[in-house]
Amino acid sequence: MAIVEVINVTYKYPFTDSPALQNINLQVDEGEFVAIIGPNGAGKSTLCYTLAGFVPHFFKGELTGTVEVAGNESSQSTLHEWVLNVGLAFQNPFNQISGAKYTVFEELAFGLENIGVPRDEMRARVEGALELTGISDLADRSPYSLSGGQQQRVALASILVMQPKVLVLDEPTSQMDPIGTREVFGVIRKMAGQGMTVILVEHKVEWIAQFADRVIALKDGQILLDGSPPEVLTSPILEGSGFGISRYTSVARRAQELGLWKKDRLPVTLDEAVEGFSLALTLRHSLWSQRGALPSPTGGGEQPS
Amino acid sequence: MNAFSMYVARESGLHRLHPLTKGSLSLLLLVTGLLLPGNWTSYFLVLFVILPVAYWGKILRNFIGIVWGISLPFILSVVIIQSLFWGKGTPIFEFWIIAPKQEGAIFALVSVGRIILVMAGFILFAMTTRPDTLMISLKQVGVPSSLAYIIVTTLQIIPRFQSKAFTILDAQRSRGLETEGNILTRARALVPIILPLVLSSLVEVEERAIAIEARGFNSKKEETSLIEIPDTNGQIILRRVFIVITILTIIARVTWQLLK
Repeated sequence: MAIVEVINVTYKYPFTDSPALQNINLQVDEGEFVAIIGPNGAGKSTLCYTLAGFVPHFFKGELTGTVEVAGNESSQSTLHEWVLNVGLAFQNPFNQISGAKYTVFEELAFGLENIGVPRDEMRARVEGALELTGISDLADRSPYSLSGGQQQRVALASILVMQPKVLVLDEPTSQMDPIGTREVFGVIRKMAGQGMTVILVEHKVEWIAQFADRVIALKDGQILLDGSPPEVLTSPILEGSGFGISRYTSVARRAQELGLWKKDRLPVTLDEAVEGFSLALTLRHSLWSQRGALPSPTGGGEQPS
Repeated sequence: MNAFSMYVARESGLHRLHPLTKGSLSLLLLVTGLLLPGNWTSYFLVLFVILPVAYWGKILRNFIGIVWGISLPFILSVVIIQSLFWGKGTPIFEFWIIAPKQEGAIFALVSVGRIILVMAGFILFAMTTRPDTLMISLKQVGVPSSLAYIIVTTLQIIPRFQSKAFTILDAQRSRGLETEGNILTRARALVPIILPLVLSSLVEVEERAIAIEARGFNSKKEETSLIEIPDTNGQIILRRVFIVITILTIIARVTWQLLK
């Protein structure tokens, strides 16, 4: 069942001539994990703001078309009601910290205080969100004393604690180091695993290929491709137009041109690449053994190069 | 000390006081120090009220350091300008075109006392009051939550601004900006530091606004709070007394001014 329904959305920021989003039609099912990719200026963040109600409630400008979540329309609702439908977290963890709270525990409670949750329920919900994001041990620390990955998990937790129906994440790992990225992705995966509807803008395609159910490629404010991760992420259409393409895909495409890639589909992740190249090696190996000129067994397929 | 707030955690009676009690005390000190007659009232209040209270709060050493650090530039500029550019009066000494006047020096000292009083009153409050408890107690007395938020985040802004300024300073230095040398070189270096500081802060404002809106900041529901702030009847009375004296001082000063 579709929980998010975007119908014919076109949006223009104030004082601009060209629309940031053009005729966007999009349905997301409950529990689906959708990743959005696209070059700079493709409208990814604008789409996030539109889903999360910041367009049209925070950013003015011209919006046509409708955004519906669980049967409610965003333009008919107020922003503070809408944030209970769609939770938004974004890039810079530092700027997502309220600055008015002293510990992580209180930081998480900030949103619940705003929407008037009673104290006992507040404690229970904050503890749940801390647990879920794996930051229970940071509860008494100051949010400003944490590492980027920890801060971003605090930011995620402070949105999750509001219990939105849909989670929209705008490049949550773009300012993270590899450790921070792994920490944040761990949380996102867990959320998706628990049946949360997640819409994630992300450049790290190798992560997307592993976890997303569906990938949408956005360009110039329009949806270019919409399909399964292998289908979209290895599409030749993405080549050379500013999309992040996995290096494994690029290598395999080159190999395919030289006749060295034997599978139908190009790889996105390391494992897929290793599997494909092992196949190619085995094929070549058996060809050689038929000819009787047998080189020494390499076993190179097991070693990622 | 937490790098992003002036608050210094200590176990002291001052720390345990209700934020509004401390707030009304600071207000009282500022108003009486600035409005009561007498050139040296502010020095008196700093010496005999603020410093003992800071000692009670177990933060005396830190406190003096911070107040001194923040007021020093103001003090220097006031003393230099007022003593050198005072129009007529008795010169203390004369050297070429430099002739500091006695009257100017006295005026400067009085101003310095006021500067120190204002800084000290404000910093004492910021150092012993957790920003979040302040926000909650402000809302409890009916201050709108957006105003309470602004007040609280402003209290924290000095250290944050400072650390950002240092980052920008380092970045510009690494691109070859000359920041050491004579006054002229230093003054010229200010522009490429202050401009990015102000602009990046403006950008930050939008993101922060989005972040707190995403957490229901403007919700019309009645707000609740996680922490309870202990209050006592004694403190409630004390606060009222402080406020009454503050108001009386203002009234007295205004009538005195009008009658003169």
